[in-house]
Amino acid sequence: MLKKILVGLIAGMISGLFAAGGGMIVVPALIHIFKLEDAKARATSVFAILPMVVASGIFYYKNDFVDWNLGIKCAIGGIVGGIIGAKLLKKISTKTLRILFIIFLGYTSIRMICA
Amino acid sequence: MWETITGLISGTISGTGMGGGTILILVLSIFLGVEQHTAQATNLVFFVPTSISAIIVSIKSKLIEWKIGTTIAISGIVGAIIGANISATLEVNKLKRFFGIFLALIAIYEIYSLIKEYKKSKKEDNIKEK
Repeated sequence: MLKKILVGLIAGMISGLFAAGGGMIVVPALIHIFKLEDAKARATSVFAILPMVVASGIFYYKNDFVDWNLGIKCAIGGIVGGIIGAKLLKKISTKTLRILFIIFLGYTSIRMICA
Repeated sequence: MWETITGLISGTISGTGMGGGTILILVLSIFLGVEQHTAQATNLVFFVPTSISAIIVSIKSKLIEWKIGTTIAISGIVGAIIGANISATLEVNKLKRFFGIFLALIAIYEIYSLIKEYKKSKKEDNIKEK
């Protein structure tokens, strides 16, 4: 129980701080600490992250950071993408996606640190 | 148009729980020139409908573990409020650097777990051959 609460607390802080990436804590934690299957861990994390996003979203909204026009345009694509992604979850090998993801992460982290 | 395509790609990655949000923020801030705080806030607007559609599909595939998910979600709300408060007091550039370091740590972890799994599957293959 304590572990679950801690994972949620840390993931929430990261969600609030960077407005993304909470899942990066929840997914490995679910796989490695709580021994969930890959697909289940990813699906559960999407569900767990949603309330965190709403909580930090309210905060960003109050601080006037939200660009609704941009957000809605992105969300239209996102709704379709979300369906595709969740369907892929049952089919795709995570290994390929992981490798691509690592390359992408490495490149962008360097760019961000040097910015 | 580019915004919707960005949303589609990030949404697909979000739906698989790979971190589509980080990709959306990066594309918005680096390629479309959106300011970091705005890009982050936009990601939050984007994520709500995207994740709802992904969650509906995942419910149908019976992939969601409700008990553990709910506990993490509730403590996550507390964490999110703390994190968002800290975020508003930090400078944008510092935030970017923190974000970069954070991403690098994730990348290192992912490489580590991939190698670990590779070794494990090799070991299992050896046992099967014997």
